[in-house]
Amino acid sequence: MEANRFSKNIFPMKYFYTIAFLLILGFQQVAQAQQKINVKGIVYDGDSKLKGPIAGASVILAGKAIGQSDGNGHYSVTVNSNAELTFRYIGYKPATVKVNNRTTINVTLIEDDNNALKEVTITSGYQTKTKTLSTGSAVTISGKELQGQPAGDVMSLLQGKVAGLNIQNSTGAPGFRGSVTIRGISNVNISGDGNSSFLSPTSPLYVIDGVPVDDNTDYSYGFQQAGPGVSPASQIPPEEIENITVLKDAAATALYGSRGAYGVILITTKRGNSKVPVIRYNGSAFVSTVPQLRAVIGGKGERLLRIDQILRYDTSRYTAIDLVNNTPFLADSLNAYYNNSTDWQSYFYRATFNQTHNLNISGGDVGFNYKVAVGVFDEKGIQQGTGYSRYNLNMNMGYSPTRKFKLEAQLNNSIQKQQTGSGNGLQNSGVATGGSSSSLLPSPSLYSSVNSVLGALRTDNDNKILNTTATINAEYEILKNLRVASYLNYTGVSSTKDNFSPAILNANQSQYYTYNDRATTLYNRNQFSYVYSLQEKNEDAHNFSLFAFSELRSSFFKADAMLNQKGVNDQLRGPLTNMTNYTTSLGGTIGYTDLRTIAFAGAFSYNYKQKYVLDFNYRIDGLSTSGPNAGYKKNPSVSLKWNFNKEKFLESLKWLDYGDFRFSYGSNITPNGGIYDAYGKYYGGSQYNNSQSVILDQALLPNLSLEPTKATTYNAGFDIGLLNNKFSLAFDTYYKQTDNILQSKQLSSSTSFKGISATEISNVNYGWEFQVTGRPLNTTSPFKLSLSATLAINREVLAQLPDGLREKIYDDASILDQDTYYRLGLNSLSNYLYNTKGVYQTNGQVPVDPVTGLPYRVGGTNILNYFKAGDPIFTDLDGNYILNDNDKVIAGNSQPQITGGFTSLLQYKSWSLEINTSFTFQRDILNNSLAAQLLNFNKPTVLGNLVPLSQFNYWAAPGDVAKYGNPLDFIRSSIINPFRYSQTLFQEDGSYLKLNSVKVYYSLPQTFTKQYGMNRVSVNATASNLGFITRYSGPNPENVTALGRDYPGGYPLSKQFTLGLNIEF
Amino acid sequence: MMKNIKYTLQIGLALLSSIVCLSSCKKNLPDARLSLANNSLYTQLIYQPVLGRNTLFSNNFQFGSSSRPLDFKIVNMRTFSGEAAPEMEAFYPVMTWKTAYNGTESSIAEIEAKRTTENHQLFEVRPHSGEFIMWAAANSNQVKTQPDSGYVFDVEMSNSGGRKYFQNFRLMPMKERPYEPSNLDPIIGQGPQISVLPSGVNITGERTGQPLNAGSDVRVLFKRSGNGNSLTFKFTDTLSNPIDPNKFSATDWGNLVHGFNMVKTNTYVKYETAYPIPLSAYPTKYTTLSGNQARVVFRFNRQVFGNVLQQCFVAMNFNIYQQGDWEMTFQFLRDRPKFDND
Repeated sequence: MEANRFSKNIFPMKYFYTIAFLLILGFQQVAQAQQKINVKGIVYDGDSKLKGPIAGASVILAGKAIGQSDGNGHYSVTVNSNAELTFRYIGYKPATVKVNNRTTINVTLIEDDNNALKEVTITSGYQTKTKTLSTGSAVTISGKELQGQPAGDVMSLLQGKVAGLNIQNSTGAPGFRGSVTIRGISNVNISGDGNSSFLSPTSPLYVIDGVPVDDNTDYSYGFQQAGPGVSPASQIPPEEIENITVLKDAAATALYGSRGAYGVILITTKRGNSKVPVIRYNGSAFVSTVPQLRAVIGGKGERLLRIDQILRYDTSRYTAIDLVNNTPFLADSLNAYYNNSTDWQSYFYRATFNQTHNLNISGGDVGFNYKVAVGVFDEKGIQQGTGYSRYNLNMNMGYSPTRKFKLEAQLNNSIQKQQTGSGNGLQNSGVATGGSSSSLLPSPSLYSSVNSVLGALRTDNDNKILNTTATINAEYEILKNLRVASYLNYTGVSSTKDNFSPAILNANQSQYYTYNDRATTLYNRNQFSYVYSLQEKNEDAHNFSLFAFSELRSSFFKADAMLNQKGVNDQLRGPLTNMTNYTTSLGGTIGYTDLRTIAFAGAFSYNYKQKYVLDFNYRIDGLSTSGPNAGYKKNPSVSLKWNFNKEKFLESLKWLDYGDFRFSYGSNITPNGGIYDAYGKYYGGSQYNNSQSVILDQALLPNLSLEPTKATTYNAGFDIGLLNNKFSLAFDTYYKQTDNILQSKQLSSSTSFKGISATEISNVNYGWEFQVTGRPLNTTSPFKLSLSATLAINREVLAQLPDGLREKIYDDASILDQDTYYRLGLNSLSNYLYNTKGVYQTNGQVPVDPVTGLPYRVGGTNILNYFKAGDPIFTDLDGNYILNDNDKVIAGNSQPQITGGFTSLLQYKSWSLEINTSFTFQRDILNNSLAAQLLNFNKPTVLGNLVPLSQFNYWAAPGDVAKYGNPLDFIRSSIINPFRYSQTLFQEDGSYLKLNSVKVYYSLPQTFTKQYGMNRVSVNATASNLGFITRYSGPNPENVTALGRDYPGGYPLSKQFTLGLNIEF
Repeated sequence: MMKNIKYTLQIGLALLSSIVCLSSCKKNLPDARLSLANNSLYTQLIYQPVLGRNTLFSNNFQFGSSSRPLDFKIVNMRTFSGEAAPEMEAFYPVMTWKTAYNGTESSIAEIEAKRTTENHQLFEVRPHSGEFIMWAAANSNQVKTQPDSGYVFDVEMSNSGGRKYFQNFRLMPMKERPYEPSNLDPIIGQGPQISVLPSGVNITGERTGQPLNAGSDVRVLFKRSGNGNSLTFKFTDTLSNPIDPNKFSATDWGNLVHGFNMVKTNTYVKYETAYPIPLSAYPTKYTTLSGNQARVVFRFNRQVFGNVLQQCFVAMNFNIYQQGDWEMTFQFLRDRPKFDND
């Protein structure tokens, strides 16, 4: 009986033909008032920067809702001519108006300051909707939350604020980004080896003010050595950001199609919104401090430890004495060259003073507004020779002479400079080797032997990135509710990298590396949107909107590099080379891409009284990088939302602010590979029959059906707001399948090709996300407290491998031997390690082969090969009493599985205190730094620094229950390799809770500041990156690579202390 | 009120069903089972162990791309003609090691405490490595030996990814050779010779004054004279008259073999020993460098012309697999050793 009534209301049959007819013809019918008078008008937002309309505002007559404003703020109700209407919208002060026979009443609602949470609008798919009508899974973070903490890369400030957005600030190098992933990894490819193994990044698509910006290409990550590495998102200073929206499911990202598979992040910058021009200044000075460096043994202590070690553990006393006497730095203690106690780390690290200033002039109203922002950010790295500075000039203006026409233009320019020292920025191996030099050696000078120190201190590295973005967009309402708009954007980025290495480092002839690249993008989108409503009992009941666009994008990238060797002297740094022809000049084009994409997309949305919302999106993409047989890619998405709080039976509940269920399904793609992967590479050969021959490069077989990577997502969500926004919760659960992940595959030599770029890998991410906000204090309290927490649980499973394989090993060719195991049904990136279960306390604990009577051993049957007390206990998986490659086990997951954070904001009068924390659980880290430190003990005759042994729980005498084996037994260590990198001993729990920042704001009283002609003045003090609660034994569980490896060359994250001043004139 | 509860129930149901729906998606994911690859192979198909000693066949299996751990099982053990081979299915007591032998044990009891007796099939496969073991307890009275065609068997390899069979392995045991180096023919088990040669000789002959030739002038005879636990060394001259072992005066008698309670008379030296000799391949002071064989060196020094010190010795590297009262006789065939100074 109930269900019957339900189905009747949702879609009365009598309207069916009308709806269908109208949909087809786009016909518009004006609903006629039946009696009394019809009042129409627009509800405006008094606080929005553009004084835009409010959609979804309730029109209330005598305490009963009789209507709602539509997507453009229009409402239409029929009431008595003398009625009193109340307009109410969540987060706004209600406005009450008497009708007095007027038929048109425009209302402006003003934000209720006591209610910090107003109903946010959500932009997705190039359309802005109210949260009520938005069916996708999206989270918006206000720019206010990102202030007061200077950052080269704004994304680092979002850590822990959005459930499902996993940000790991894995490097402290200024200007470099950490890793950003939405809902788990979407690519499982690894390149490189050892500590330089990198996971192919799958950063989300950034859409800055409506224009997509690419982030996964070229050399922008820094670990590809060739160019500088600056994130495109870092060109926007945090002070300029109005809000950031993170779109997570396919319904939200559907219309971003061809590059939306990894999720989408929308960045909206501030606009002018005051009739009187406003000048704002934000300035900060901040100190970056040197993190705690590792303790090392200095001078005599180092020498004596080495000598003692040799005497105790060499095969005999005579060989030991011989070894010591043949090692000059041990025997010749009076030699000035070896009689030092140098603290090498002190030569690399320094505390730095940095600053950032932003000046912003804006003004205007809905009709015309403008903004000009000038910003400087300058940060010197805590490692010598590193730093990042950014200068930007951003302008935008909006012109809207009538409601029908709107023109917006935007011009962003930035110059970014980056110094990476002798490393590539992400990894500073020079500092790692230099900082770990033996303390016995003399301090750095031109005549010392530690070249890496000189390299780090004397190499000149200068990278510049010039970024220009120009956008223009025009919008016109041709007919009522039918709007057309066009976007045009041009982005040009050019980067240079100059790296000068002086003669003293290069066999007395200087070396000069120059690099330059050019990336241009032309983007055009033409769209139209149409809104139509059918009335039922004089209120908008059936609402339809249609949105369609075509999108064209052409991007081009070219990088050239040249290595000039044999410089004449260190003063001449120009493009001088004594090379006479191209082939010996070590130069050329090292990167080239030219990508064209075209797309057609449409979105249809229907809702019934905003109770039931149905969205249908469809997008067709053509990519120039796909194979010719792959064709156009079609990506549909469907989503449903039920706003159950608008149901009649729940309307009476005072404590329920809003509540809804969301369900969505959809798919998205992202381009794969380059044009060579699909079409092959051709080059000119020799002359044949007097004509030029053309040869197909046999390294790669053209894959004519190369598919783009496709992500298919199912999402179910639940939102609820209770007790007048004292408590709100958003819950999402998802299943995301990523297919067609590119990986090159080797081919049989009988094909005469070496390999093919195949798209045969799939993985699945599923998980649960919670986003909770609470305001426990009464609105009357002078204190305001806002607490929010996010939690995301992500599980990732490898679902398919090429050629039907069930498993595959990525072999780490380096000495680290830290292989990665891919097995279907498990997480994609499993560490493949020897399983260490402790240390043999006594010889008797070593297992014995019952057949031969021989103890467990490594390799051959030499007496040194047998395990004994003090050696680590490695699992013998195959039970042959010999440790070998077959004994490795799958252990651990290098990817974080649970992430989230807590934020608390306490306000009292003009004071406010904000505390941000973030956490990561269930992540395994390989502590390669620790392994390297222990390995140093295995070579007493090789110069290198030693850490104090007392800090380790190591085996020293039979019977000791120890965590680490005996590091001093250097004779057997080359055979047993007790501190091999590839063992679970060094795989540690990388869970942490991090105190991201503590911010204190104080606003000066306006009565005081007005005397000096200032409208608002506030000062703030911020301490960021303060510390961790973690079980991890290394310095920082976040400062690891995307594959979870903590390595000595990592750039440490420093604590920052900031004093800021904000003035508004 | 009832209505509200009903709707709350409906909402709860919707939430529940969505969670169930998403968690049931997991069902479609592949299970994390191990893989069994085609390139996992046995590289050796014919096994010819010598009976009477523990034989371990290693490096006979190539893991290839199969995931570890793998389980191995011998199945279908049969004679070459296809009949059942109950002797290979039965369990026999065999001597196994509990604790590693390292050459520092001070009594036979201490050595025996490191070993124990377990029941095993005579021919086994190691459960996870695929290596084959022939236990020392197998003897040619129970087991078919060459020249018989021996046995045929199959091996089942399995893990959670499935199972795979390797077929028609050949097991062709050879008759016992209780000591090495051996004078016995491996197939017929009889000796064409009665003795073996020493590993090294540096001794001058008394009659000829010439160095003795290790290849022809000295021979070593092994003789088992009882079921005890002893090893006796004797030296005889060309006429089989005993030579006093004390004449090998520079010999390190205490560390000659890993034996105890040495009895040295004018005709022999006898030790109580544990068998086999050496007990394991672990290198000790009683063995060769590799540890595979026991090494005995009998030394004496003499002064030769020109006041030169000649360090004379006769050395023997050997194994004895069968327990018993063994006697090793070094017979100087052509000439007596010259013990006196020149």
